[in-house]
Amino acid sequence: MIIAPVENVAQILIVLILATAAVIIMKRDIRSLIKTYAFQSLLLAVMALLLFSATGSLTLLYLAIIIIVSKVLIIPRFMGIVAKRLNIKRDVKFHFLSPTTSLLASIVIILFVYLSFSSLLSELNRFNSSIFFLGATVGMSIVFMGMIVIFTRKQTITNIVGYLTMENGVVLFSLFLTELPLLIEVLIIVDLIMLTLIATILAFGIDSTIEEFHNRLNPFISPPKETPQKQSEDDEQ
Amino acid sequence: MLEFLFPLGLAAFFLAVVVPLVGSKIGAGKVTRQASLIATIVACGAILAFALEIVFSNQSFSLFVYQITPQFQFSFLVDRLAAFFLTLIAVVSLAVAIYSISYVEHTEHEERKNLIVSFMNIFIVSMVLVVASFSMFSFLFFWEIMALSSFLLVMSEFEKKETQKAGIFYFVMTHLSTLFLLFAFLFIYTVTGTFDMGQIRAEPLITSVAFVFLFLGFGIKAGIIPFHKWLPYAHPASPSNISALMSGVMIKVAVYGLIRFLLLLPMQTWWGILILAAGTTSAVLGVIYALKEHDIKRLLAYHSIENIGIILIGVGLYVIFSLAGFEAIAFLALAGALFHTLNHAIFKSLLFMTSGSIVNATGTRNIEEMGGLIKRMPKTALLFLIGAVSISALPPFNGFVSELMIFQAFFQSTVLANPFLEVILISSLAVFALTSALAAACFVKAFGITFLALPRSEEAKEAKESPKLMIIGPAILAAMCVALGVLSLQLFSVLGFSFPLPNMLFIGALLSGFYVFTFAALREVASRRERIAETWGCGFPTQTSKMEYTASGFSEPIVTILKSIFRTQKKSERNYYDDKGVIFKDGKAEIHLMNFFEERLYMPVANIVRKVSLKVNNLQRGDVDLHVAYAFATIVVFLLIIWWFA
Repeated sequence: MIIAPVENVAQILIVLILATAAVIIMKRDIRSLIKTYAFQSLLLAVMALLLFSATGSLTLLYLAIIIIVSKVLIIPRFMGIVAKRLNIKRDVKFHFLSPTTSLLASIVIILFVYLSFSSLLSELNRFNSSIFFLGATVGMSIVFMGMIVIFTRKQTITNIVGYLTMENGVVLFSLFLTELPLLIEVLIIVDLIMLTLIATILAFGIDSTIEEFHNRLNPFISPPKETPQKQSEDDEQ
Repeated sequence: MLEFLFPLGLAAFFLAVVVPLVGSKIGAGKVTRQASLIATIVACGAILAFALEIVFSNQSFSLFVYQITPQFQFSFLVDRLAAFFLTLIAVVSLAVAIYSISYVEHTEHEERKNLIVSFMNIFIVSMVLVVASFSMFSFLFFWEIMALSSFLLVMSEFEKKETQKAGIFYFVMTHLSTLFLLFAFLFIYTVTGTFDMGQIRAEPLITSVAFVFLFLGFGIKAGIIPFHKWLPYAHPASPSNISALMSGVMIKVAVYGLIRFLLLLPMQTWWGILILAAGTTSAVLGVIYALKEHDIKRLLAYHSIENIGIILIGVGLYVIFSLAGFEAIAFLALAGALFHTLNHAIFKSLLFMTSGSIVNATGTRNIEEMGGLIKRMPKTALLFLIGAVSISALPPFNGFVSELMIFQAFFQSTVLANPFLEVILISSLAVFALTSALAAACFVKAFGITFLALPRSEEAKEAKESPKLMIIGPAILAAMCVALGVLSLQLFSVLGFSFPLPNMLFIGALLSGFYVFTFAALREVASRRERIAETWGCGFPTQTSKMEYTASGFSEPIVTILKSIFRTQKKSERNYYDDKGVIFKDGKAEIHLMNFFEERLYMPVANIVRKVSLKVNNLQRGDVDLHVAYAFATIVVFLLIIWWFA
């Protein structure tokens, strides 16, 4: 059982995390995007520590340490280096939705998540405290907001920030609903996607969008001019 | 003994699959192929001994192998019905394995020979395990392995355009079959909660739905009309040993499935009528289509459709009579169907193997370019003749006995009180009789044009007799054609059945006595003087092979009579020197036969599927962001559904 002051602090933290997610959706400047992500992760770590102080579960402490080491220190630093090398300062191109409409869409999404969770999870009888409900709702909403970031932005590096935000959402969700084994799997999968993307960027040099990178990676997609030439060469042989 | 034989067979099959694959890697192709096929022969021998033991002693054998979860398990149960089909598989596979030892060596690529041998063994063992399966899960599992391995075998000459078309046809049709079976099994599972075949109990309406799915699934695989189209494409494209297995055995596995599930489900009369109607249609249309074919393997493929039709007629009669309460007649029909299944497996594999020898020797599948082969390949000709006589159902060969059993069941249809059923049975009897006659006509054409008269091409002139093993394999089956025909009554009495059949041993002796007598009498009476004269050649000065009776000529009257079925279109163009149309200059005449089912049923369906696929394809642009957006939209929709329904 979580005592009242802890609950209040937790509520504030949750709202702050949601706010950082909104900032990630809106921001165009890549360096501040990365900084916001680091701040969001830090808030998440603080949340894990807070829950650790309330429940005494050591897993939460480990989680907080892992978050601080990886997401507050290593990943943002690494992303900063990549951004510097890319020489991209701002995101200017968007798919499907502009930042403002994405923000409006995410508000609607939060509403839907809230409604569906309130009808679905209330039967699980875990929500004797409203904080769990709030945490789960915001966690899931952040997953969606991360997804919006992924498909609205064209730059690979901001896509990665989107994936990372999604993963933060999953962690937040699982902080409040720890007994869902499926979620851990989702977390691992998201981590894998993220890792592969980062690894490919490291391995193949840096392209600004995934489409360009894809063309270069896949030798079968070659310009149509080249194919007849190759055939004629074969014929001569 | 049984516990030992079945695993022995499977182990030998395993060796036969692995050895050629290893062999092609280490460069010992031929030795490993031969070793593998010998292992196949051993395996078939073991399975044959195992199955015959069960058939004759009427016991059952069960084996539990492995379970993934309690519902998904590999368990086997071989009872008398399954053992009967195992016998069929083992006998035919044994002969085909012997034949293949020489036959595969004619394939062009070294590595491909090993692959063919290995996949052939996977194919055989999967058929064995389908028949032995007790749970629907393992049935479907091995069914799919059977489909895939046979698809790869059909595609063994994948560079050819014709093979690619055949492959696509076969792949789509065989997967439709699996799909329908999957529907049926899942449906039965949702109703009964089990994949065990032994525990199917359900309401009539529910089992009817399951039956329709099962009938479609097995029907596509068995090649009943209108789902037959893959057969005439796949058989000519695949190597002859594989055609022999596919036509001889694989489509019989579908018959097994149908009979097995009919015995498990509570039957209804309309199922019988449906099976009977499908069988009659397949039988008559199959033989009619066969008549116009000049490609020997395609001709045989159409005959497979016809014979599957005959088998289904027997099965349909079984359902109708057993529901009307006439157990004895029903059992006669079922036994006739099963016996015809065995017989067809034997003579059709025999015919496919001998036709493979012919195709190898002449390099063509068109019988118009053959002729005169009886002088050049006398042993193959004799074997083909035995197969042809059996499939034409002439006494005392096996085809006659099984068709007679089905006719016997038909003749007793007057016992049925229901006039509606009686009319159906009598009309389908008439069609069935027509089928038998046309089949005989078709094989007169196939044998006569292929083997008799003078060769009509250089290749046919140069043809050589096949190697020994390619004679021994079919010869085993030819011997069985005779034995199963002549000894049928004795065989049934050993198995404990008595049917109103004539003693074929007596009839056989009578017939051969008659032949010997006639021959001896003619030899005695005929004059010894040699008389050399030329056949009248319509006034042409020299006679060449061009003046022979051709296959087109032979089938022309029948094609003309049945032109409403063939949808024959005759086109002619004439040019004249003058404008009144008197002095003929030149012209062009064409006869087109329409592929009715392909043009009216298959292509329209395929076009619809294609259109839908192209629309769906538009959604897929290879743009990662777009795909994430799809995922996002899907999850949002799910959220809405949860909110709405929860």
